[in-house]
Amino acid sequence: MILGRFRRRLAIGTGRTALGYLFAAPLLVVLTVAVLLPALYNTGVAFFRYNATRDTWRYNGFDNFVGLFQSDAFWNSFWVTLIWVAGNVGLQLVAGFWIALALNRIVRFRGAFSAVLLIPWVSSFVVVAVLFLWIYHPQLGVLNDLLLKLGLVSKPVAWLSSPELAQVSLIMANSWKFFPLVMITLFTGLQDVPGEVLEAAEIDGAGRFQTLWRIVVPLLAPSIATAVLLSTIWGYNSFTLPIIMTAGGPLGSTEIMGLYIYKLAFDAFDFGGAAAASIVLFVQILAMVALYLRFADRELAPAG
Amino acid sequence: MSGRSRTAPGLTALAYVFLGLTTVVVAFPYLWMVATSVKPIEEFFTYPLQWLPAAPTARHYLAVLEDSRFLRALLNSTIVATVVTAISIALAVPAAYGLVRLAGQRGRPMLIAILSAQFFPPMIFFIPFYILLAQVKLLNTLTGLVFAYLSVTLPICTWMVATSLRALPRELEEAARIDGCSDVQIIWRIVLPIARPGIITAGIFAFVLAWQEYIFALLYTTTPAAQTAPVLMFYYLGQHQIDYGRLMAASVLLSLPIALPFAIIQRHYRQGRNEGGVKG
Repeated sequence: MILGRFRRRLAIGTGRTALGYLFAAPLLVVLTVAVLLPALYNTGVAFFRYNATRDTWRYNGFDNFVGLFQSDAFWNSFWVTLIWVAGNVGLQLVAGFWIALALNRIVRFRGAFSAVLLIPWVSSFVVVAVLFLWIYHPQLGVLNDLLLKLGLVSKPVAWLSSPELAQVSLIMANSWKFFPLVMITLFTGLQDVPGEVLEAAEIDGAGRFQTLWRIVVPLLAPSIATAVLLSTIWGYNSFTLPIIMTAGGPLGSTEIMGLYIYKLAFDAFDFGGAAAASIVLFVQILAMVALYLRFADRELAPAG
Repeated sequence: MSGRSRTAPGLTALAYVFLGLTTVVVAFPYLWMVATSVKPIEEFFTYPLQWLPAAPTARHYLAVLEDSRFLRALLNSTIVATVVTAISIALAVPAAYGLVRLAGQRGRPMLIAILSAQFFPPMIFFIPFYILLAQVKLLNTLTGLVFAYLSVTLPICTWMVATSLRALPRELEEAARIDGCSDVQIIWRIVLPIARPGIITAGIFAFVLAWQEYIFALLYTTTPAAQTAPVLMFYYLGQHQIDYGRLMAASVLLSLPIALPFAIIQRHYRQGRNEGGVKG
């Protein structure tokens, strides 16, 4: 009797759930080995000092973290990363917003425009890096040539080899690669804003920017939050473009956290320090996600 | 009657102009890449700069295609991306079906846990993968790369397939069950065909990710036998005299295998949307 009821429950509710997990089991095993265990291992490494000459590990508590916080190079990369993330998010958001708005207004050729606008997003990192190295080339680059022809500059600009400009030049290249996803996210959000709302605002005589700022932006808030979160995470996780285009230079002006961790691990063989720095990076990302969840929840609350 | 074009035809025209300009800015680097790839070296140094090649040449392409190391790297990239795609789909589709359709609401926490793996920065894996791959003697092997890439592609693919499965109307499966179809038949004959656009999209996504992956390939491969194309390009750059003609030709070749699946992805997106429109 009890067994029978148990069987019935298995068959109706838990049975299907168990079968579901069985279907997922191979994936869960691989993810445990390829994601979860390495992440835990990395956490462990952060508390050890690796001696490359003797290939030995020694436990040293929080020393790796203390060492980071006392290191000028760490703080340099911390601030460089903040500027990098803020610049990327800002530029991608501004570009993505206006382009999404324009796409939303037109009907004809929308598919053709968006097909071209999505190209950078599917371009290989290395190709983008090579492309912009070539465009930014001081003597042979087309950007300087264009600016000289237009009379906007009087002599070639050293885009990537001057500490003041390298970061901005990198941000422009990186934003070129990543704006399409922000654009798509905001465009999808805009499609949910009823046309009548926009129209009514225009008829009521609200100024264009007032309409945008008071009506469209608040309605878009969830999409904007998602776009900001995504480009923030990508910003923190960046590596390929900076290492190829500037390798952190000149004078550490573009040494974002990813490059700092890479150099610590594979140039200095400070595995413990690199692991600790990657945890600091991860904590920053988690803080952003937490901020997003709070912000997005508050924004979504009145609607649902 | 379109209300918006009535109230602001000027804005619509402005939108077209703006999009036209943006498209030019976005497409320009690519056109510049293709133009450079067929430009003879002599024309690189002419002043003022020559935008279009006066005497186009296939020399750079031939040089790249005669470079056995580059061909080997292209082959390696193809193998790794294909294997990663196949494994990702083979694991993600049953997992997504199991968690979304069989476990339903109870599978949701697990799905979210899988998705959250995406928040892990690649830097967290730098050292663990390095040590692990060294220990099982998989440094400088394609197998090692496949393993590393799965950590990136699996969570994304599972999520994409799960999203497309969730959109399927459950009634279809129930109707088939009443008609006497077994679970296997339902999956094979009903779920998979309808979810195909989503599965293909996820597969192409995995391919694109693996094809352009750079960080792990840079860290875990140093020998020509295991090097992928992006890493080899980095070595080209490391030479003191950068041969931009060759580099641009290689870039064009490296972009082609992604351009094609991307065209397919776009068509499927539209098809999927249309099908949904008809049914919904």
